[in-house]
Amino acid sequence: MKNKKYIQGLGIILVLLLLTSCQEWLEIEEPDHKLVSSEVFDTEETAKAAMQGIYNQLYQASFSAGWLGSTTVLAGLSADNLELINTNTLDLLQFQQHNLQPDNPYNETLWGSAYNMIYMVNSLLGGLQKSTKISVETAQRLEGEAKFVRAFTYFYLRNLYGEVPLVLTTDYEFNATIEVSSITAIEEQILADLAVATSQLGDIYLTGERTQINAYTAKALLARVHLYLENWELAEQYSAEVIAASGTYSLSTDLNEVFLANSQEAIWQLSPLGAGTMTTHTNEGSVFIINPFLPSLSYVKLSEGLVNSMEAQDLRKSNWIGYHEDLGVYHAYKYKIQNATGEAAEYSMVLRLAEQYLIRAEARTRQNNLTGGIADLDHIKARAGLPLLSVSNPGISQEALLEELFIERRKELFTEWGHRWLDLKRTDRAQGVLAPMSPNWEATDEKYPIPAEELLSNPNLYQNPGY
Amino acid sequence: MKFSYRQHLLRVTLLLIGVLPLQGFCQQIIQGQVSDPQELPIPGVNIQIQGTNRGTTSNFDGEYQMVARPQDTLVYTYMGYVSQKVAVGEQTLINIQLQENENSLGDLVINAGYYKVKDKERTGNIAKITAKEIELQPLVSPLQALQGRMAGVEISTGSDTPGAAPTIRIRGQNSLRREGNYPLYIIDGVPINSTPVESNSSLGFAGIDPLSTMNLSNIESIEVLKDADATAIYGSRGANGVILITTKKGKGQKGVQARIYSGVSTVPNKLDLLSTQQYLKVRRQAFTNDGVEPDEFNAYDLLLWDQTRETDWQEEFLGGTAHITDVNVSAQGGSDRTHFRLNGAFHQQGTIYPADLQYQKFTGGAHLDHSSKDERFQLGLAINYGVDQNELLGNSVDFNTNAFRLPPNAPALYLEDGSLNWEEWGEAGLNNPLEGIFNSSTTRAHNLITSLNLSYEIAKGLELKTNFGFTDFNSDEVVKMPQRSYNPAGMPLHRSLNTQSRRQSWIIEPQLNYQHQWGKLNLHALVGSTLQENQYDTFSVQGENYVAESLIGNLGAAESLINAQARNTQYRYQAVFARLGLNWDQKYYLNLTGRRDGSSRFAQGNRFANFGAIGAAWIFTQEAFFKEQVAWLSFGKFRGSYGTTGSDQIPDYGYLDAYEATPGPGGLYPTALANPQYSWEVNKKAEVAIQLGFLKDRISLGVSAYRNRSSNQLVGYPLPATTGFNSVQANLPATVENKGWEVEFSSENIRKGNFRWQTSFNISFPKNKLISYPGLEQSPYANTYREGHPLNIALLYEYTGIDPETGYYTVKDQNEDGVFNPEDQVIIQDRTREYFGGINNSLSYKGISLQFLVQFVKQEGSFTSLFNSGFPENQLQEFSSTSATHHQISQTPEASLAYSRVVESDLVIEDASFIRLKTLNLSYSLPADWITPLGISQVKFFMTGQNLWTLTDYRGMDPDTPIGGLAFSGLRTFTSGLQVNF
Repeated sequence: MKNKKYIQGLGIILVLLLLTSCQEWLEIEEPDHKLVSSEVFDTEETAKAAMQGIYNQLYQASFSAGWLGSTTVLAGLSADNLELINTNTLDLLQFQQHNLQPDNPYNETLWGSAYNMIYMVNSLLGGLQKSTKISVETAQRLEGEAKFVRAFTYFYLRNLYGEVPLVLTTDYEFNATIEVSSITAIEEQILADLAVATSQLGDIYLTGERTQINAYTAKALLARVHLYLENWELAEQYSAEVIAASGTYSLSTDLNEVFLANSQEAIWQLSPLGAGTMTTHTNEGSVFIINPFLPSLSYVKLSEGLVNSMEAQDLRKSNWIGYHEDLGVYHAYKYKIQNATGEAAEYSMVLRLAEQYLIRAEARTRQNNLTGGIADLDHIKARAGLPLLSVSNPGISQEALLEELFIERRKELFTEWGHRWLDLKRTDRAQGVLAPMSPNWEATDEKYPIPAEELLSNPNLYQNPGY
Repeated sequence: MKFSYRQHLLRVTLLLIGVLPLQGFCQQIIQGQVSDPQELPIPGVNIQIQGTNRGTTSNFDGEYQMVARPQDTLVYTYMGYVSQKVAVGEQTLINIQLQENENSLGDLVINAGYYKVKDKERTGNIAKITAKEIELQPLVSPLQALQGRMAGVEISTGSDTPGAAPTIRIRGQNSLRREGNYPLYIIDGVPINSTPVESNSSLGFAGIDPLSTMNLSNIESIEVLKDADATAIYGSRGANGVILITTKKGKGQKGVQARIYSGVSTVPNKLDLLSTQQYLKVRRQAFTNDGVEPDEFNAYDLLLWDQTRETDWQEEFLGGTAHITDVNVSAQGGSDRTHFRLNGAFHQQGTIYPADLQYQKFTGGAHLDHSSKDERFQLGLAINYGVDQNELLGNSVDFNTNAFRLPPNAPALYLEDGSLNWEEWGEAGLNNPLEGIFNSSTTRAHNLITSLNLSYEIAKGLELKTNFGFTDFNSDEVVKMPQRSYNPAGMPLHRSLNTQSRRQSWIIEPQLNYQHQWGKLNLHALVGSTLQENQYDTFSVQGENYVAESLIGNLGAAESLINAQARNTQYRYQAVFARLGLNWDQKYYLNLTGRRDGSSRFAQGNRFANFGAIGAAWIFTQEAFFKEQVAWLSFGKFRGSYGTTGSDQIPDYGYLDAYEATPGPGGLYPTALANPQYSWEVNKKAEVAIQLGFLKDRISLGVSAYRNRSSNQLVGYPLPATTGFNSVQANLPATVENKGWEVEFSSENIRKGNFRWQTSFNISFPKNKLISYPGLEQSPYANTYREGHPLNIALLYEYTGIDPETGYYTVKDQNEDGVFNPEDQVIIQDRTREYFGGINNSLSYKGISLQFLVQFVKQEGSFTSLFNSGFPENQLQEFSSTSATHHQISQTPEASLAYSRVVESDLVIEDASFIRLKTLNLSYSLPADWITPLGISQVKFFMTGQNLWTLTDYRGMDPDTPIGGLAFSGLRTFTSGLQVNF
């Protein structure tokens, strides 16, 4: 009889055991290394950390990092400023020789890293919108900074590829089959985002570091966007606002100090700390300066055309260009540090005051304010130790002045964010300048191809003509 | 109910305490001797009390002694003899004569996981190999031993490095995701995470085999469950098949076994490449053909490098000899109710690469079995512990590619002082190809797998069983990256990469078993439940700027620690399962299995699913008609099964929309797209089979046909970058079908006196097909898969010969749009094996035995390397001049483009079928009468060889890795050793 009791007891226990297979058992804790998105925007601290994540990743993202796959290097190769030292790197050679293939890996990461950045921004904006726990003040500031980054990224996508998909949400099902937007729609979005940034951001650098975006950063980019849109008045207006903030910004008198961390000329810089490694040099310094130990491992040099365009007395030639005897090549020497650890002495420059002078000069010239244009241009010439236009040729024609400005931009802004490539394109000079020197040149090379992978995975995208 | 598992634990513990007080029954000591028809004693006969696990084994003189109750029945079994049953009754002396069994199937019992079944009576498809076939093989991973031995089981080693995880596919690829195809591993009832352990070493992608710390000599058997009938009871984890590994138990017989072997491994093949003179001639030809003036950049090998230097890079990189040593000791014994077995082993293996690297493993294990006096309570405890230390190269050096590609006149890699030669390579604008050579990776892993089985017979036929398992796997990898490993140009620092992984799991599976016989109807019923929790923690950090090389790895000595990453993931799993097995008159069998599973890998609402299968068998030779009329057919069975299984092999927390820390300071960022919708992959399996035995089962034949369909494919769905990422986890509306035939044949060809010759043969004809994929054309897979074709395909251009004008390869622009893109890749090459199998022969005469396994595979591969003539890399002899199928020697960008297209064309398809003498074992045992007086029961000398000989037309290194042509997997290994049993 004892046995029977056992059986009953055990039977009950077993049945209980089987039945209590409860749902709750499967509720597992979130892992330590992840923070659920909604919780990120539950506190100000973590929401700010999400914006800091965007700053950090700008230094990781291929298109903005300043390394080989960056806009700076790739667009430099496409234009007539940069050339490869070692032509064995075929994937890079495609940029230089204008026979870019749609499956070029550098092109793929250029595109992909930009859209990853846009996702980060959209995710932050979406999180802010849903959150109820963040003060209006903080929310507005974060929104302004994030929208600036989105506008900035679209500026490059639009100018490198032409019509691109305008992704404004994190909904991947929608974004996976998104079609391209018209140039107008993209430009309107860039202006709208920058409008939010200018109105919601303050005038000061909150952290004291010029790595943070403020209202002037947004205005500086607005000035450039309006210049590209040929809205001369607005371009002049915004650049003037930045130039007027002379308490914050002024041209460095010493050319060797322009690219230092938080230099007085800097409007926006990226900190190399974003890489999260020991090294604190900028990628630009590392990629442009000839490697002191094994020079032949260096990738790019400055083209003879760029070097020869500068007069001997041009201080930029002596301060911003280096010459390597063994290799017999010129290299960019704006950044002075090739390799470093410790405190970061240089930051990667994105926007600086000199460009604002050049923008205003061009905008004024276009509006027939030649004196104003000359005055602005002379700021740049003066620093470069060149004779002032107001002295040497005050009666210059509008056309000649524009040509002068065009050349000055090349000399001032080389190896910075592909200025030359974009200038050639926006002023319709690409064909004229590049066709004679590049046998593969075709007019359609002005736009990079949509990466082959994108066309495979999104049936609604079509290749740019010529690829 | 958050901690409800604690309550579960409590219940089970109470229950166990409850069953411990056991009652005694009348017992008596039985003794006797077992002999063969010639009245010679048979040692090692298994004597078991029917219906229990309790028993003993006869000693060297065939004698045994054990305790039994009068109502017990003793079962005497021995391989090759007919089992006998004897009711104990009042007897105390039972001498038995066993009759030789002509039936090779015997009464082989198969482990089906939660239950056991006789091979003859099984309704599912389960393949088994035993210790005999694996224990002498000089391998690190137990699964490699299965190669060629089982129908439907495809194993590729993947790497020549010890400890690397092999790839195993049971009846083909079910999931579109590579990492969704691991079978379920179960060791002594405890599931083991089958995902390879991540490594920063040269193992790279393959990862570390989680089974590498097992001792091959300690494995009793490996069973592979293939069809629905066998796997449905594993529910959501059974889709890719189940591999059950059972370790050796004590059998009661006292004894000690010691074994040692050692040997060497070398690379099995060498390619015929150009000599310096030939190479330089080709290179000069390129400049002549291209009309280009050689300069230091494009012709460093002609202008800067020594024109007479000649290095056989294959010999340099792959020409080494790896030494293997293995020592294994085991002891067993016990009393009649308690058996134990202890074992310890040491295995060491070197490398063929030019580096001093060792793989070492120590393993130890203990098995304890106990039963109460009245047999109602049984306990089994298994502890397997292994420690291994694997020294590998850091991940940056690729010997395998360099061995073939480096120009033969390339400069020395090292300077005389042993440091790397940067300068000479640097002058050519190249990095020393051995950059990273001084990086060492040392991985220490500890692996503990324990299981405890308790069972209690509550009433006749009703048994309560609980299985507890605990596993703890720790691996600690340190990659040391000294300055001298890197080009000084990069201003390298002394660095280290430290990674720790820990996988812990526990499982409880209480079960209730019921067995009853009503007349001719026999019933087995089983219900049980599972609670399982896995914890997976990894921590990795980089130490930078150590002051001295000797301090690398000691994190305290690093100037800074960066990229610290800690990940803790948790996985919980619960299930209820049941089985009902019915058999009528040992003729008709019906087997129903089912499982309800819940897994924490899915978001709420998608966590539970049901799986089940039905299996049936008819042993038609039990019918009177066959018994009387078809005497030559000694056994015949039809069986079939149908059911569903699933797969939840996806990353944990995949459904969470979450942020992680950025590498840079103070930032958070989203690292993946989240999709809370996804759910299980469902795999429906069907099988029919026939099993026949002829001539009193001396010949047996099994033929099975199966069809498995996997739908609701759970994949990292590739996305355009406009979504921000490249993929998201989602269920695809696609169905993958694996169907095929498997034939297993074995025969005892000769059995005369002392001579015995057995042959077994297996062959599989797998067919893999993507049968449906609505919307494939618009999907991201449009250019990866084709409906109606296998998953493993290559989409290739159509080769159209050599352009007579340029002399370059051409491929066809199918749509004539002037652009070569995936739309033109219309040739579909099936890379699935057409058929594969193995033939194993065992011959024995007196003390000599010979066993050899020949593996064969019919397949197509590709050879896409070593014919880029004109470029500064070495190539095959046969391409040293232009010919009808080889284009003009050139290094223009156009030539490069033509080459890059032709390697994606049908020109590179080639037959990669092969026949390989996979293993060969020869052993000799000293005659018993020489050694018995010394108190030794066996002395055996043995030799084994692996991958000794291969017949193939494939031009690459190894047809077992038939893509590209430069990779190879199995090394050629010879070992010899000695085994002594006391």
